[in-house]
Amino acid sequence: MTYAQTIWGMYVRWTTAWPALSAFAPFVPLIALWGFVVWLEIFPRVFLPGPFEVLQTSWSLLYKGILPAYLGDSLVRLAVGAAAGMALAIPLGIFIGLNQRAHDATWPVLLFFQAIGDIAWLPILLVWFGFGLTTMTFVIVYTVMFPVILNTVLGIRSARPELERAAQSLGASRTRILFEVTLPGALPNIITGLRNGLGYGWRALIAAEIIVGTSGIGFLMFDARRAGSVDEIVVGMIVLGILWYIVDSWILAPIERATGERWGLVTT
Amino acid sequence: MKNLSLENLSKTYFDPYAGTTVNAVQDVSLNVDAGDFVAVVGPSGCGKTTILNMIAGFVPISGGRVLVGGKEVKGPGPDRGVVFQSFALFPWKTVAENVTFGPKMRGVGKAERAKIAQEYLALAGLSHAADRYPNELSGGMQQRVGVVRALANNPDVLLMDEPFASVDAQTRMTLQEELTRIWEERRPTIIFITHDVSEAVFLANRVVVLSKGNVLKEVDIDLPRPRSWDRLVEDGDFKALSNKVLQLVRSA
Amino acid sequence: MAERVAFSPVPYPRLRRTVKFMLPLMGLVVIWQLVVVIFDVNPRIFPDVPTVLRAGWGTIADGSLFSHVTASLWRVTVGTVLAILLAVPLGILMGVSRGVSSFLSPLFRFFSVLAGIAWIPIATLWFGYGFGAITFVIFNAVFFVVTYNTLLGVSTIPMPIRHAAASLGTSRWQLLKEVLVPGALPNIVTGIRTGMGFAWRGLIAAEMIATNTGLGYMLFLARDFYRTEVIVFAMIVIGIIWLVLDRLLLAPLERATVERWGMVQRS
Ligand SMILES: Nc1ncnc2c1ncn2[C@@H]1O[C@H](COP(=O)(O)OP(=O)(O)O)[C@@H](O)[C@H]1O
Ligand SMILES: [Mg+2]
Repeated sequence: MTYAQTIWGMYVRWTTAWPALSAFAPFVPLIALWGFVVWLEIFPRVFLPGPFEVLQTSWSLLYKGILPAYLGDSLVRLAVGAAAGMALAIPLGIFIGLNQRAHDATWPVLLFFQAIGDIAWLPILLVWFGFGLTTMTFVIVYTVMFPVILNTVLGIRSARPELERAAQSLGASRTRILFEVTLPGALPNIITGLRNGLGYGWRALIAAEIIVGTSGIGFLMFDARRAGSVDEIVVGMIVLGILWYIVDSWILAPIERATGERWGLVTT
Repeated sequence: MKNLSLENLSKTYFDPYAGTTVNAVQDVSLNVDAGDFVAVVGPSGCGKTTILNMIAGFVPISGGRVLVGGKEVKGPGPDRGVVFQSFALFPWKTVAENVTFGPKMRGVGKAERAKIAQEYLALAGLSHAADRYPNELSGGMQQRVGVVRALANNPDVLLMDEPFASVDAQTRMTLQEELTRIWEERRPTIIFITHDVSEAVFLANRVVVLSKGNVLKEVDIDLPRPRSWDRLVEDGDFKALSNKVLQLVRSA
Repeated sequence: MAERVAFSPVPYPRLRRTVKFMLPLMGLVVIWQLVVVIFDVNPRIFPDVPTVLRAGWGTIADGSLFSHVTASLWRVTVGTVLAILLAVPLGILMGVSRGVSSFLSPLFRFFSVLAGIAWIPIATLWFGYGFGAITFVIFNAVFFVVTYNTLLGVSTIPMPIRHAAASLGTSRWQLLKEVLVPGALPNIVTGIRTGMGFAWRGLIAAEMIATNTGLGYMLFLARDFYRTEVIVFAMIVIGIIWLVLDRLLLAPLERATVERWGMVQRS
């Protein structure tokens, strides 16, 4: 009990000193547990590699330059797809959100296309474009687009009418109201949409890389699967997890909080 | 400052649930002189908000006219400043940015806007909070911002719909005293809507009692200014006037 | 803008709402047919409506559609139910203690961002190609997201509410039943909806890779033979199933908790 208390006390003191530490701390016992289970040899090594083997493999993948190259490929695809998806989705969402007719005519269609889901498009895209970059880009753009459109529309339509009235009676024109009132009000929703879109988007990318497979982290993992090299699969998963963890919790979540919470628009 | 007059103003709403129409306001005529302070009281549902929304131009008028300085108005415009019960501050703008929103829409430059912000925040006693966001202020402070935001745009008429109804009792009294002070200093034309009789009597030069969409009676309030709660709580004239208005409202 | 406030919202009968929802989709089908006919699109690239209907009828008549759909739905059901049964109690258990939940939440966050598709390679290694691997992918897509959201939900119940319950003489079990579970419910439901979104996509991807029945396999098999009309039909089936599942089951559930209790609106 006292040992536990000492350790807990150290954890609390250190994490208050360096808050970033709390993001890593729980992985220490997890990795220890993983090493212990492997050491017990309950599962054969070809099923579950140990932490050291995985570390070795990642070092050799790094050293050979495969990991950086594939990681770069995946990131570029995601970034290009996300940027294009947003560039299409935000104006479209604003238009549909502002225009009741457009909303009535497109909303069910948007929901339907979102429901088909990115990955179900892969086969027909392969028929159209073959195995290549076009197919992958299409899938990511598609995936990012729908959550952003839907959330932008929602944000615009849930604008508080008295804020628009206030702006009107202070002499704002329609365009000014759009930029000063409606869009800022929709911003938290737009960012939430972006966060969801990217969450789906990078999963779609992995699937596309597995199925279309020429390079990228998804390809690395599936190639390893074919060769039966389990430690490379685990390396791929860890890299993906860390990558997305960084993007989500150090970039997207803080932006969401900075706008939503300071303005008092989001309660989470 | 300009005068405001309502000529035979009416509003009919359509209720789609019942499939019937509701006469929320019927044939209301009212004159507010330039620089005057008029309060409108009446029980809940008697059409106060509807009248104010028609003056502000937020809802279409069914019949009659609204004139500001003798000119008929249509739709919302910066000649009529509005203070909302829900404050309606822009959450993504700082206090100073909220206060200078109107001038910014008119194309007033940055330096000039900074001066305006300074002046009006001082008027509201909020100079220290210029760079904070509305969300970070108390209700009373938020409504002070709401009031000076409307004033900073130099409207001809100031429209206030139960602006102090959602702050606590202590703060409400302070805000009422501040509003009379600001009115005495700057003499804006104000039409102030409330269901609180003592608030109406305390603030206004004239109280209009409304009943079921009609003007029931107008009562002149000739209490001396400056007014403060410390004095008026015990004041016989104030009590008598409040009583008179209260009886009217209850008979409404 | 002014008109919007002049009228209260008109009450919609159910039928009218359904028609209003279906109309744009019908319009889409008409446009599709027109485009294919007018531009004389190669049926390999995109078939016309009758061809797709005929192909669809074919898969219904020979029973293959039915077996693919039931295979997919069965996997989703097993994976999701197992995941929820494990995740909710675990999340509540961990969430009760502030210390435990703040310590463990990065871990579950890590695994919930990794959930789903990224597990396909190792799942096929562990379970072989087939039911086990695919169900595992669905299971973990739902499990980690729901656990993380439950943990979050319980640990963000305001302290004053817990204190209020305690000072009203609530026992531990009652606290769990009356305060912690209902308080975390909006988060749990949101977690289920998000997790199932990942799971459904994961299912299609996994079925393309690792099995010989299911909707994903149906799609991929059709691609091998360049049968675009079957691909399009399967896509429509996938869209309809998810739309029905999400809109008629998950979204109303979320609305009933999240929105009713005054939290943020979602799409
Ligand atoms: N948008 C509307 N649609 C239908 N009826 C309305 C609407 N707004 C107000 N009313 C009706 O008009 C009457 C006056 O309302 P209101 O002006 O809000 O009263 P007050 O502000 O004095 O409480 C009420 O009977 C109310 O139900
Ligand atoms: Mg009212």
